[in-house]
Amino acid sequence: MKKKLALLLALVMIVALAVPVSASAEPAESITLWTYPIGNWGDEATVKALTDAFTAETGIAVTVEYLTYADGDDKVNTAITAKQAPDLIMEGPERLVSNWGANGYMVDISDMFDDTDKSEINAAALKACFAPDGAAYEYPLVMTAHCMAVNVKALEEAGVKDLVDLENHTWTTEQFFEVVKALNETYGIVGAVYCNGQGGDQGTRALVNNLYGGTFTNEEHTAYTWDNEKNIEALKALYDTEGIDYDPSIVGGDEIANFYNGIFKMAFCWNIAQQLNPNSAGTGAGITMSGDEIGFMAFPSQDGVAALQGGIWGFGVFNNGDDAKIEAAKTFIKYMCDSEHTVEAVRASNFFAARTAAEGTDLSTVWADNEIMNEYTKLMPMLGDYYQVTTGWAAARTAWWNMLQQVGSSDGSVEAITAAVNDFCGQANAAAAG
Amino acid sequence: MTQTMSPALRRRETVSGYLFLLPSLVFFVGFVVVPMVMCVITSFFDANMNANTPDVFIGLANYKELWQDKVFLKALRNTFIIVLVSVPVVCIFSLWVASAIYQMKEFALSFYRVVFYLPVVTGSVAVTVVWKWMYNNYYGIFNYLLKGAGVISKNINWLGDPKYALGCIIIILLTTSVGQPIVLYVSALSNVDSTLVEAAEVDGATNLQVFWRIKWPQIMPTTLYILVITTINSFQCFALIQLLTSGGPNYATETVMYYIYYTAFKLYRFGYGNAMGVVLAIFIALLSALQFRLAKES
Repeated sequence: MKKKLALLLALVMIVALAVPVSASAEPAESITLWTYPIGNWGDEATVKALTDAFTAETGIAVTVEYLTYADGDDKVNTAITAKQAPDLIMEGPERLVSNWGANGYMVDISDMFDDTDKSEINAAALKACFAPDGAAYEYPLVMTAHCMAVNVKALEEAGVKDLVDLENHTWTTEQFFEVVKALNETYGIVGAVYCNGQGGDQGTRALVNNLYGGTFTNEEHTAYTWDNEKNIEALKALYDTEGIDYDPSIVGGDEIANFYNGIFKMAFCWNIAQQLNPNSAGTGAGITMSGDEIGFMAFPSQDGVAALQGGIWGFGVFNNGDDAKIEAAKTFIKYMCDSEHTVEAVRASNFFAARTAAEGTDLSTVWADNEIMNEYTKLMPMLGDYYQVTTGWAAARTAWWNMLQQVGSSDGSVEAITAAVNDFCGQANAAAAG
Repeated sequence: MTQTMSPALRRRETVSGYLFLLPSLVFFVGFVVVPMVMCVITSFFDANMNANTPDVFIGLANYKELWQDKVFLKALRNTFIIVLVSVPVVCIFSLWVASAIYQMKEFALSFYRVVFYLPVVTGSVAVTVVWKWMYNNYYGIFNYLLKGAGVISKNINWLGDPKYALGCIIIILLTTSVGQPIVLYVSALSNVDSTLVEAAEVDGATNLQVFWRIKWPQIMPTTLYILVITTINSFQCFALIQLLTSGGPNYATETVMYYIYYTAFKLYRFGYGNAMGVVLAIFIALLSALQFRLAKES
């Protein structure tokens, strides 16, 4: 009897293990959204308020998962290979269009863009959401220009505040190096060309490209061009500058923390979200930990007119083979990006609306009540080419920080820098060629 | 008892034995055997994430490419350095600590075991964060102490300088690797037959002779286990690299495990990544077999 009971128990265990846990029968009106931390779209309370309002109006329930930039890509890729991708994802064209879209995992949502939408959406943002074959894999919600930051009190103490146009947030390459020299003489450490990898590379790319007018890709976004002489000149100038080291031990987030803590007097990984809440520390907008004023600045260029790196964020729909889910996902996108509710969705991001109006609602005044946001709009006309949609982007950005590491550990000669640049730019172009 | 068991009863016993085994077997087959087979099969394909292009069978091309890939060769070199340094150091250090503490009173023995085992049970992320602070280029305690003592005049970028980065990783690896071997050695040394030790001492054997002739042979199975486990763990060094250096600077800390991850999940070259995995498994198997062979001979 005991053996029979034991056998029965064993069989029950085996059946319990062997039979897959059946998913609860979800209503057709439920979707899953995975979002990267795009402003407060990474904050559960904020997003819940938005999705609850959406559910109340449409009856479609939204389950949200919050990703980080450190391991978000791995989670998504694992989900894709396990055929468990979410219905909706919030990120930028470099992932939605150039990666998952180009690899055939996203739904073409070009039917969501009518002529009015196309006229209302920022031209650069609109272009970035479309693949070369005309398919759209992202519907843009918000955008911003990435910039750099300076510790204004440090500039005063070093006696170089006058060299920086804090009103227009611009400066020339010459002024930049003068400021770095003065800060170095006063404090020693000024900043770092961080190159550990894992994000924030838009700052170092923009710095190097702007200093002497170099480019990262060609205009057609078919090849990487960072092996031009102007970039090599910039890399060499940064190598030779006392106070700024190539630092492979820190990432963009570490740089921001060091700037906030007062160790660095400049940060190259900055944008409006950082200006509103430096280091995400919640200690006050536009100030460091010790209360020093933070000035946001365009990257220095020879003529003082920078080409800033843009960030464009919106939603894409994964093709999970369920038309009802796809339609529900599109309803969500329409609600958040092109309706009277877009104002709340934009404000949640702490970035700027990617369009001027949405179904008659004026979006140009979304931040009218926010002085810092209003001031930051001065940088928006400096938005440069959105080249992150070039093929092989993931490999290219890795090659970029590996190149910075090699430059930093070289003897600093033009030959050594050129060799590193050519080697890694070659790798990026090999990836671009497929 | 077994001899008197009827064939039918024996069969029923066997069947029920296998049924009890089955739950574990399902997991083992599902999460170990099947992925291993899939890994080997995929290594012969140009497999990527593109849903629009089918995986193409390319035979041994991935394996051939490995030996022309400078980054892989660097990663392999780094991995072997980690193994060759950490395995002997872990074994010798653990044995030394265990020898020093295994005859202590219970409280002191437990205290030391806890101290050395703590990094093992502490999450690798927490361990890494603490070490990252200590190694920090700008405010790390190592630079602070060394500068204070006049050993260095300028901060050293421990994790950012190719000269030091791999050594720093190995040091962290050692601290997280010695806990289990120490506990095992303490247990093994406590189980050494004391009558043999006493007999040898009565016969005039020195401490060294007692150790090599009496204790060492009796703790050999434990040593073999520690060698194999430490070798495998060292070959699979990943979390520290991922959390601290991403393989940099200049590939100075790139290991095969990290390069597999990078190739598969950043470049989406699943076939190539799997080929590396197969090669790594072969190296681990060969080294483990060699250790078994040497232990058997000695």
